[in-house]
Amino acid sequence: MTTGAVIFAQNNSTIDYIKLAIFAASRIKKYLDIPVSIVTDTKDYLLKSFPDHGFDQIIEIDFVAPVQNKKFFDGSVTSKVLPWKNHARTNVYDLTPYDRTLVIDSDYIISSTVLKSALDNDYDFQIYKNSFDLAIDRERDFERINQYSIPFYWATVFVFQKNTIMEAFFNLVSYIKTNWSYFRLLYNIDSSTYRNDFAFSIAIHIMDGKTQGDFAIELPGTMTYITDADVLIDIDENKMKFLTQRKNFLGEYTASKTTGLDVHVINKMSLLRYVNGGSGV
Amino acid sequence: MSKGFLVFAQNTDTVDYVRQAYALALSIKFSQPEINSVSIVTNSPVPDEYQTVFDQIIPIPWFDETVDSALKAEHRWKLYHASPYTETIVLDADMLMLADISLWWEYCGNYDIKFCNRIRNYKKDVIVQDTYHRKTFISNNLNNPYYALHYFKQSDYAHDFYKVLEFVINNWEYCRGTFAPLDPQEWVSMDLAVALASKIYGIEDDVLSPLEFIHMKPAIQGWATTPISWRNFVNYVLNKKGEFVVGNIKQEKLFHYIDKNFVDDNLINRLEELANGT
Repeated sequence: MTTGAVIFAQNNSTIDYIKLAIFAASRIKKYLDIPVSIVTDTKDYLLKSFPDHGFDQIIEIDFVAPVQNKKFFDGSVTSKVLPWKNHARTNVYDLTPYDRTLVIDSDYIISSTVLKSALDNDYDFQIYKNSFDLAIDRERDFERINQYSIPFYWATVFVFQKNTIMEAFFNLVSYIKTNWSYFRLLYNIDSSTYRNDFAFSIAIHIMDGKTQGDFAIELPGTMTYITDADVLIDIDENKMKFLTQRKNFLGEYTASKTTGLDVHVINKMSLLRYVNGGSGV
Repeated sequence: MSKGFLVFAQNTDTVDYVRQAYALALSIKFSQPEINSVSIVTNSPVPDEYQTVFDQIIPIPWFDETVDSALKAEHRWKLYHASPYTETIVLDADMLMLADISLWWEYCGNYDIKFCNRIRNYKKDVIVQDTYHRKTFISNNLNNPYYALHYFKQSDYAHDFYKVLEFVINNWEYCRGTFAPLDPQEWVSMDLAVALASKIYGIEDDVLSPLEFIHMKPAIQGWATTPISWRNFVNYVLNKKGEFVVGNIKQEKLFHYIDKNFVDDNLINRLEELANGT
């Protein structure tokens, strides 16, 4: 039984996901002590720019022109519309070189060993449903995919085993992705943008027989996150500092600090500034 | 020993409760493999095509034409005395039974009387405290029974409880004023009457149980706004396998739809197909 992590990294014109993935991988190896492989459509860039990348395997996928854009905020008052290449994740079942795989976003920063316990058990599929917003006065936005519908699951980080059940699950996610315009209407999703979180949530719901079930096991701990309206200040070992947007005060922030918490830093541009060697502000 | 479901269904000027009871009875026929006898308590006419689904059609005992209220709650304490069964589960007419509830019979068989005290919305969220509809229950520290789903066994214990319930309903002003003075609820509600009767009888904890149902009152669905009917906000379908899906979420066991226009010809046709196995 082999265990390892997989990070997807497909750059766009502004965000160097490969650089973020290298940073995220260094944290995984430090705290979870497992090999990390990268899935990318720009292998040549990776090898040329980061010869000491440290990845276990580089899994190359075909370069596909972006099919959708997304508005990426960088703090509460600045934003850019950029290509969002998130369609490859559903192929992770075929792409992973491991029997048990931790799939993780390049902006999910590990600062603890809490996910180790998830790698030591035999559940088919573990994923976060529960989440915690570091901006404590912000209304909770991720309990359901919308107020009329099913529970929300984060495709940001999950652990799965290779078996026929999980093969069926990923086939189902792919089917939902292929027929996204139908499923988003069926589940009352306003945006036409394909989002893995939604597709995974729908697939889990179907695997559970359209009711409550135990197909998806909650990962240990809680998914802690800042949104792209917030800003990362810096990271020091397992300590992270943030500025989180104040409710009803555009452009004003509240400072917060975490110690020993894994955090999903959704503001990738802020994270990239930090990784580039400066402050994330 | 006989077991069966009992439904009170007295038509009003605007609502055909007998038709709702017919739909419920059909749903019981297709969802309950063992105990599926259903009797209806009504003084309204029951159409010929509905009659075969009911085990018995029972007139409301001691019917008093002078009692005139929208919910006919004043008659509902009589169900204990009207039931033809040794063990009875009482259901509101505006419900659908969607899955085998044999375990409820097994559980309740250990007791003389049990009320439902837990509801969920269609998303399966447990409604811990219905602060919208149950202010008087909360303010007066009453228990939280739902008359829409309850069980009783013909027994001295249950008989005595229903005598107290009769007293509460027939002395409504006195009882609610004495035992539920805060955030007063003036209209006669069976749920509040049961809460008061169990308080008077001193069995507040005994009457509660794990029985539960899906309650479709719009205010408890977790929506930002409250529509007149839940059907304005979410789609639903009863498929050929008998699965009832609301907002893409499969509903289980007992579904309390509330909406008086929910039962239409299409639903009746589908329920008849399911009940007849066609």
